[in-house]
Amino acid sequence: MSSIIEVKNLSFAYAPHRRILEDVSFDVGAGAFLSVAGPNGAGKTTLLNLLCGLLGPQAGSIMIDTAPIQSYSARRLAQKIAVVRQEFVPVFDFTVVEVVSMARTPYLGTFGFDGKTDRDAINQALEITDTAQFARRSLRSLSGGERQRVFIARALAQNTAIMLLDEPTSFLDLKHQVGIYDLLKAAQLEKGKTIVAITHDINLAAQYCDQILLLTGRKPPMQGRENGAQNHPGYLIGKAKDIFSPEQIEKVFGVRVFAGKVGKENFFIPLGRFAKDSGQASIS
Amino acid sequence: MAQVLTARSLAIRVLLCLAVLAVVMCVCALVGSQKISLKKVFAGPGRSPGENIDYEILVGIRLPRVVLAALVGAALACSGVVLQAILRNPLADPYILGISSGAGLGVIIAVISGLTWSFCGGSPLSVFAFAGAIATVWLVWFVGHFTGKAQVTSLLLAGVVINAFFSAVIMFLTSIARSDQVYSTIFWLMGNITEKNLSVLGVSAGCILAGTIGLFGVSQRLNILSLGEQEAKGLGVDTAKTQIVAFALAAFITAIAVSLSGLVGFVGLVVPHGVRLVAGPDHRQLLPISAIIGGAFLVAADTLARMIVAPAQLPVGVITAIAGGPFFLVLLARYSRKISWLK
Repeated sequence: MSSIIEVKNLSFAYAPHRRILEDVSFDVGAGAFLSVAGPNGAGKTTLLNLLCGLLGPQAGSIMIDTAPIQSYSARRLAQKIAVVRQEFVPVFDFTVVEVVSMARTPYLGTFGFDGKTDRDAINQALEITDTAQFARRSLRSLSGGERQRVFIARALAQNTAIMLLDEPTSFLDLKHQVGIYDLLKAAQLEKGKTIVAITHDINLAAQYCDQILLLTGRKPPMQGRENGAQNHPGYLIGKAKDIFSPEQIEKVFGVRVFAGKVGKENFFIPLGRFAKDSGQASIS
Repeated sequence: MAQVLTARSLAIRVLLCLAVLAVVMCVCALVGSQKISLKKVFAGPGRSPGENIDYEILVGIRLPRVVLAALVGAALACSGVVLQAILRNPLADPYILGISSGAGLGVIIAVISGLTWSFCGGSPLSVFAFAGAIATVWLVWFVGHFTGKAQVTSLLLAGVVINAFFSAVIMFLTSIARSDQVYSTIFWLMGNITEKNLSVLGVSAGCILAGTIGLFGVSQRLNILSLGEQEAKGLGVDTAKTQIVAFALAAFITAIAVSLSGLVGFVGLVVPHGVRLVAGPDHRQLLPISAIIGGAFLVAADTLARMIVAPAQLPVGVITAIAGGPFFLVLLARYSRKISWLK
């Protein structure tokens, strides 16, 4: 599998003595699903902003489809990468289809009218995400889960090889969390999309993703459990089962967890000091 | 299947609105304190001035005035749409970034100096208002970009502060001016449509039309910019360039409108909202339709302004505020109900 995203020795700091990312290197294969996990402030969103060209790398390089990210114009980059940010409500009362059709902007001429190809892409994205039923409703009138599906529809209509998502399931109930991950997995398997998603839900990440990038902030991680995981100061990359262990999670996130197994993957329930079964919060 | 805006459906809607504007302009040109007969008008101009008064009133006085009102209304509504999108603030209007106080300051300086010359057919008041407006907008843009990275917020703050400062200077100058100077300044500040000569009208029409077409060219990008800068960048929009182009063109047409008619309030706020409630927020449609409806609205308001206390005339700004407010509330109530019913 050839790499579509190559990150080499990437560093970034908002202030001289506050490095957020230091010497990070990883590849994402074309058609892979990578989850970026880590505690708050570890640099997950900064990494996403670097990968979509919103921030420029201060050291190191990011290659998108073998070309440096800086060599892309904003328009060409938007034809390669679609970004779904944390859920928001626009100031003006756009309908669902209006929001989804904005995805075609990188392909439109000056006066910006959609042609047949654009309309097909929009309709297809609405159908895949099951949002066609409320296409003409106001985005504001939808629930959080429905809105998130609309933003994923927009990313699909953008027709890019890569999709970047910033916590796509935050604020959603269980059913919608799983629904969003099913949608992303389908986009990966059926459309060959490369997906990079920031997540706080390590259990869903373990179930759905090919690889995990665990950013650990200032706490250096422990070694990966088996040979599969590559260990670096500040981050860890590999398969979920190699990266997530109760000890690792306790070290990186600072919380004790109860661990179990679903099939081949581990799952973890965090248990705080006052949780009913916190006494047994241990490695099972 | 879901509907997206096509060039054809937009063209049909724009033509319909243009037809409405044409009807409003014709009706408003025909009514007034002096009744005129169409039959006489079609007889053409007399051989000597004063022979066919009806023709002279219609062609020489009312038509230019109706065209002027349409131009000013279109420019203000269009500029309101653009500023609401760039600032992502539904309360923005064409004057929010200091244009009003800058132009007002220019005017009071012109009045106090007692200048009597004219420049390209424009009175000193118009020229100073235009210069004041443009200089202030430049200052606001400069200060806004100088002070911070969150450009929208710092632009708004710079606009508010400079507006307040210039208003204070205007008050100071008003307090030391003679009473006749104060009167002409206040009359100007209220907003007035008065007859202008044809060359001024022609140049202004060209500029406003060019500005509006230029803004229509960035209207799709305004849709995306109204979602926020990060979103816009993610969709390949050069946000800085779009903001500068949109802001400069909106400021330019507002400055022209202000130099023609003083500070006509409410059009730039109410018309974009009214059109948005009926036609939706897609700027490719919102922008041209707001311009046309803004023109029609101001033509109608100006006709009322010259008829209510005829033969005297009210400043049109009084009518736009009095009529615009309730009209907007009706729209709001009607369409909010419709939307909640749809839910």
